[in-house]
Amino acid sequence: MDDHVVSVLSNIGVISFVALSAYLLLLTGEISFGQQAFFGIGAYAAAIATAMWGWPLAAGLMLGALAGASSALLVGLPTLRLHGLYFAVATLAFAEMIRILLELFHYQVAVDGELVGPNGTDGFGGIRYVFQNKIGAFEYMLLIYTLLATALAGLWLLERSRLGVAFRMIGGDETLAKTSGIAITRHRMIAAALAGALAGIGGGLYAHLTTYIEPRIFDIMLGVHALAYGLIGGLGTALGPLLGVLIDIGLLGSTRLFSGYRMIVFGGLVAVLLIFRPRGLLNEEMVHRIGSFWRRVWPTDPSQKSHGKT
Amino acid sequence: MLELSGLSKHFGGVRAVDGVNLKVGRGDIVGLIGPNGSGKSTIVNLICGLFPPTAGNVLLAGKDITSLPTHIRVGMGIARTFQNIRLFGQLSVWQNLWVAQNSDQHRKDGSFLKRWLGAPGAARAEIDRTLEFFNLEKKRDELAANLSFGEQRRLEMARALAANPSLLLLDEPAAGMNAEEIEQLDERIRTLRKTGITILLIEHHMELVMAVTDRVAVLNFGQKIADGGPAEIQANPQVREAYLGSSNVK
Repeated sequence: MDDHVVSVLSNIGVISFVALSAYLLLLTGEISFGQQAFFGIGAYAAAIATAMWGWPLAAGLMLGALAGASSALLVGLPTLRLHGLYFAVATLAFAEMIRILLELFHYQVAVDGELVGPNGTDGFGGIRYVFQNKIGAFEYMLLIYTLLATALAGLWLLERSRLGVAFRMIGGDETLAKTSGIAITRHRMIAAALAGALAGIGGGLYAHLTTYIEPRIFDIMLGVHALAYGLIGGLGTALGPLLGVLIDIGLLGSTRLFSGYRMIVFGGLVAVLLIFRPRGLLNEEMVHRIGSFWRRVWPTDPSQKSHGKT
Repeated sequence: MLELSGLSKHFGGVRAVDGVNLKVGRGDIVGLIGPNGSGKSTIVNLICGLFPPTAGNVLLAGKDITSLPTHIRVGMGIARTFQNIRLFGQLSVWQNLWVAQNSDQHRKDGSFLKRWLGAPGAARAEIDRTLEFFNLEKKRDELAANLSFGEQRRLEMARALAANPSLLLLDEPAAGMNAEEIEQLDERIRTLRKTGITILLIEHHMELVMAVTDRVAVLNFGQKIADGGPAEIQANPQVREAYLGSSNVK
């Protein structure tokens, strides 16, 4: 496969994790402008683990996920009782705080006679685990997509579970969810932790893909994109945000179709969709219709009819 | 079953509910009537804890639940419908009932995975029965948003019943219904009475209220002005003056 294609696809795969992270919170009706912070925390945590402590990649990624989830819980405690705009602003403020803290973060150790580790605004280079272990770009891309497929399978199950349906209920009508016996704050905390873990894994993968990270990468633009992917691609299925990433990076970014005007086209696309299709291309209605069509073409055994599925 | 004592809710200077005392016995069907803005819906909101009262207490089966959050009260057996239809439009009819089911009651049924990804046999059968009772069985896989108005009204009540409540609060269930639909609603409430469920019915449709309730309480400007049997209420001159008017009574 062409190097350029591999690099674009790897990028799409990694960014999909932040998009899924923002999507999960959108399901519960919360708009977060701060998921890039958990992506950044995951990136730093995973990179420190492999490059400085000599951990294997799997353990590093797990640490990234854990760091993402636990920091999301920590932020969630005071902010998840906020609503709408207040929550959005709180998450934005938190994310900027993390970015600035990363700029002040110096922690370096000598590895093979060379200083490695986060060095404030100068970033964190030499995350060479993939290179040192002779993992090719193509193999690494396969790893990214294996993990992405696992995450998607997990979300697919989640959305069919009581928990996932409860997420959608909270997002749909909070008062009604409450009077249906759903503990709103607890459910939002679970969603935030899962979203933090997703972003954390994505960050870990990103750090090892680029071998160099710096605080600037995890700025508000990444968070805005992560939100926009779900809003473009659709909130009816976890494949929605992936479609959003594909449209942005795959179509607008890599084909250089609109070169300098890319951000204008992207912004316009978001605005148009928010007006005409507020829940994105693959919204619940669309997913339901595809599901009904599917059932008609391949009818399932009526004795074990799966009512829960859409 | 349900007891309100000195219940008040003030919004700024407005006394939406002002020192209301009301007792609803187990298995009773009690009507709550009053002109628009007399505080009926506010009382329902106070009973399910959507906001705290300014003063007074709400007791359920003798237990003070005034400071409990909504979802705990729902777990204790309170379910409600809304005056304006509220449904999870993006979920299927089946899913609307599935998650509304009180999971505690099915906790020992089937495996963990089965409960989380579907419903174990007994829970499933219960949903099927509820769907049938409300004549919605053909719509189970439809998105709630795509149902007709009448179907949505029925689904709203089905969702409330799916939680298997001991106290059901119906907030104007007949609003916007035609005569035939009201007739069906009347029959359903009568059938429900046999199951021993307690119902607080808020309704403007007097014929329905007088036909199905054991007792009627009348609110005016947040205060209870009368409480008694349907016939007694209809004859009460104070009620006629405040609410029914003189010529509007059917």
